[in-house]
Amino acid sequence: MVNRKVKKSAALLLTVLMALSLAACGGNGGGKENAAAENTGSNNGAAKSGDSEKKVTITFQNIYPDPTTPSHKMINELVKEYETANPNIKIELDTLNTDQQKIKLKTQAASKEIPDITIVNPAAQMKPFVDAGLLAPLNDMLDQNGLKDTYQSGLLDYYSFDGNVYALPDGNNIEVVYYNKEIFEQNGIKDTPKTFDEFLDVVKTLKAKGITPLAIGEKDSWTGSFLFMNIVLRTNGGPGFLQDVMDGKKTFEDPAFVEAVDAFQELVQAGAFPDGATSIDATAGGNIFKSGQAAMWVIGSWETGAIDASSVAGKVGAFQFPTVNGKGDPNEFMLAPGSAFAVSANSEHLQETKDFLNFFTLNLPKKQFELKNAVGLGQKVDGDLKAAGYSDLAIQIAELFNNVKGGDLAFDNTMNPATAQVHLSSIQNLFVQKVDSAQVAKEHQTAFEANKE
Amino acid sequence: MKVLKVPARTIAVFVLPCLLLYVCLVFVPILVSFYSGLLKWDGITTAKFVGLANFGDMFWNDPVFWPSVRRTLLYALASMLEIPLCLGMAILLHRYLKRGNTLASIYFTPVILSVVIIGQLWKTIYNPTSMGGMLNGLLISLGLDNWTHNWLTEPKIAMYSIYFVSLWQYFGYHLLIQFTGVSNIPEELYEAAKIDGADGLKADRYITLPLIIPIFKISIVLAFIGSLQAFDMVMVMTAGGPAHATDVISTHMYNSSFLSLKYGYGSALATFLVILCLTFTVAINFVFNKLEKKYS
Amino acid sequence: MSKLKKGVVYLLFAIPVVTQLYPLLWLLLYSLKTNEEILSGSFFSLPKSPMWQNYQQAYQLGSYPKYLANSVLVTGATMICVILLSSMVAYAISRFRWKYGGLVMTVFLMGMMIPMQATLLPLMVIFKNMGILNTHLSLILPYIAFSTPISVFILSGFMKSIPHEIEESAYIDGASIYRIFRSVILPVSVPPMMTVCILTFITIWNEYILAATFISSERLKTLPFGVYTFVSQYSVNYGNIGAFLVMGALPVILIYFFLSGQITKGMVAGAVKG
Repeated sequence: MVNRKVKKSAALLLTVLMALSLAACGGNGGGKENAAAENTGSNNGAAKSGDSEKKVTITFQNIYPDPTTPSHKMINELVKEYETANPNIKIELDTLNTDQQKIKLKTQAASKEIPDITIVNPAAQMKPFVDAGLLAPLNDMLDQNGLKDTYQSGLLDYYSFDGNVYALPDGNNIEVVYYNKEIFEQNGIKDTPKTFDEFLDVVKTLKAKGITPLAIGEKDSWTGSFLFMNIVLRTNGGPGFLQDVMDGKKTFEDPAFVEAVDAFQELVQAGAFPDGATSIDATAGGNIFKSGQAAMWVIGSWETGAIDASSVAGKVGAFQFPTVNGKGDPNEFMLAPGSAFAVSANSEHLQETKDFLNFFTLNLPKKQFELKNAVGLGQKVDGDLKAAGYSDLAIQIAELFNNVKGGDLAFDNTMNPATAQVHLSSIQNLFVQKVDSAQVAKEHQTAFEANKE
Repeated sequence: MKVLKVPARTIAVFVLPCLLLYVCLVFVPILVSFYSGLLKWDGITTAKFVGLANFGDMFWNDPVFWPSVRRTLLYALASMLEIPLCLGMAILLHRYLKRGNTLASIYFTPVILSVVIIGQLWKTIYNPTSMGGMLNGLLISLGLDNWTHNWLTEPKIAMYSIYFVSLWQYFGYHLLIQFTGVSNIPEELYEAAKIDGADGLKADRYITLPLIIPIFKISIVLAFIGSLQAFDMVMVMTAGGPAHATDVISTHMYNSSFLSLKYGYGSALATFLVILCLTFTVAINFVFNKLEKKYS
Repeated sequence: MSKLKKGVVYLLFAIPVVTQLYPLLWLLLYSLKTNEEILSGSFFSLPKSPMWQNYQQAYQLGSYPKYLANSVLVTGATMICVILLSSMVAYAISRFRWKYGGLVMTVFLMGMMIPMQATLLPLMVIFKNMGILNTHLSLILPYIAFSTPISVFILSGFMKSIPHEIEESAYIDGASIYRIFRSVILPVSVPPMMTVCILTFITIWNEYILAATFISSERLKTLPFGVYTFVSQYSVNYGNIGAFLVMGALPVILIYFFLSGQITKGMVAGAVKG
């Protein structure tokens, strides 16, 4: 009796496993129907048939996991509004932190199964996804409800390939130097530095008083690179250095690049960064500034809202990155067009997804404005910051935006990922040891040539 | 000796469910991965078959590769050297305490905690002085100011800091294995030896050591494989930085595949890792089989 | 034996008790401290007044009950399957007379050498074709598969040491092989099963890479994913992180302390011939 039962269940288990393994080993042949038949209960299967009133689930992968941030509130509120207005649509949020999302999306891309809406980064970073035909062009959707005109002119170019727009940015930021006014005053620093030499003097003054001059979290190596590339933007006398390298007009061994490495090493030698910077996460690095333990922080203007919500709120100002050795224009910035929402070309509910994203991006600026997070938006917003109760810092940043003359994208948004990784670790290395600058330049050039397409 | 002669169908019922699942979800993927090692592929766009080119790059053109192999093997060596220590401790536990297994299971505690917790703890210990690092704080309070270091960011030291955490975490694991082994040795053997005048260390030399060899081997192999694949710990502590100073094969593989988008190259590294693992495990087995023969 | 020698030995025993139990104590204290107390950085310092609200906040912010329920489900299902499947294989390997026993064992042992990260992408493709992405099955199946090598290893080691007389008498009584397995072998193999349980539980309970990759729906996510996200993102209040870590580790700590007496029994039973 028992014996038969065991036998039966073992046989059953075996059959199921055989079916599964067939599907697994046999690729997408017969296995798929098998598996689909077994999984009719899952949400994908639920919406296969029916008319306009069918229940549709849209997966929205996003990178706003921290419940205390305005962006997290923004996405959740907008989703709720949309679901209320469209009861047949369910938006499933897959909320991850930035690292997790990058890895997950790449893994998904390999199986051509990316979520209905996902997050990509501009230019070079999203190019492979576009090349693989994974992303849907959004041109038609941009024309609906005048969405296209809400974006700042030129911004969508970073997300366009061959005349098609493939993603819509959540923001558009610039790199600035935030500084703690209180710490500056207490240490007799009257004015914000305009040149790199003055900047170094400030660093040395602060260091001598035992204060960490610059906050950074260099375990996430993009932070150091972002700062470093701002120096390159100056020593090169203007934007376009990386582009020139890619076009073969310059090499990394160009004096402008070597000079930038020298300048950066001077910062490190002067003790500008916290001890053990390379083991600090980007968030923890930011907290050094936000908790008032560091005097300055060179980072994207996206941090404005978070700074205003931290314990140093009201004490912080911002200034442009100084000129280096008399070169460069302070009104040229490192530009950081934001992470962007892209739609899967293979989405089962392409139209519904586009409709939702249209609603979402149209209402994003207004919602961000309400949540006091409108600094660094990629879209035009109606409304007076001051009247709406924004901080002085936010208004100051907004003014810096008005003066932007041009600039460069971050290294990893310009060069291919393999070269970018070599660059990132090369810069990280400068934090822990003194290196011959020519050697750094050479390392870059070698990597660039080895990874050229 | 195997007693039961059973029909093939019965064997299939017992073995196939597990074997099939295992083959399809562990073996097939790694074979696919081996194949990917022959591709130039970013994991997203179309792949190109390049034969063994990735391995050529690996052996001759990648400045990160050999140092990471060296660090990985050193990791393995360090973990294996810990095991005799665990054995000694296990023998003492068994000899001096009636309920040694209570202590053995206390020593095991760090193994049950997730790497996130372990990482959080050790980062607070290793932090630089300015961030309240506990180790540096302790050294300073002992007047050893010039012994302080940035434990996780000085390229020469960082890797050893990570080794140490692993040794600490897996001390209890290997001790527990050895302890079980020692406790399973029949008491009569020692009593008989005592009559012959062999006690304490001498008894260990002639009874414990020869009998513990199989267990010792298990520990060595587990320690070896475990440290060759060490991944989470390094990722949490340093992610391979600063500037690859703490990269081991597995982190280099992960970073190549997912950050540099050289998935084909990353897979070639995976192939290398598996082959390295296999070779050494076979070698370890060989050595121990010889030892066992010698002593039995 | 001299008293001094005994003292030295006991001291030797005591040191690891401190160093190995320290993380639990540290975590507990950490979770009850304020940010300032945490950043002051000393090995032993009690919080001035325990911040129980850290737990309350972590509980509210971290969707704890949902993650917990999912983790219990996934881990439980995995453990049952691992125990059943691997003891079947272990039985066949250790007690049946057949040609390929050694080969099967080798195949399983090789599994221990396979880095899970390298299988991430192929697994994604397989699960896509099976249509089980974003279901708990996409976690349970690979968890079972990756847990079997060590389980088969431990269980077959034990089963080899079971005296043959037990089986033989049952066999002569006319019991079928399935019945012998069920009512003779399984009951006596409980100790190594406990060991397998603990080891599997620890690994699966703490796994987050697969969990983050194969699960997209918020309502299906597991605890380690939640813990990892919470820790890496929510860094405003360290005490909250500590509290969430404690809550995340609690089940594994409880299970371990209930079963720890068993673990030593089954770990390598049978490997010493004596």
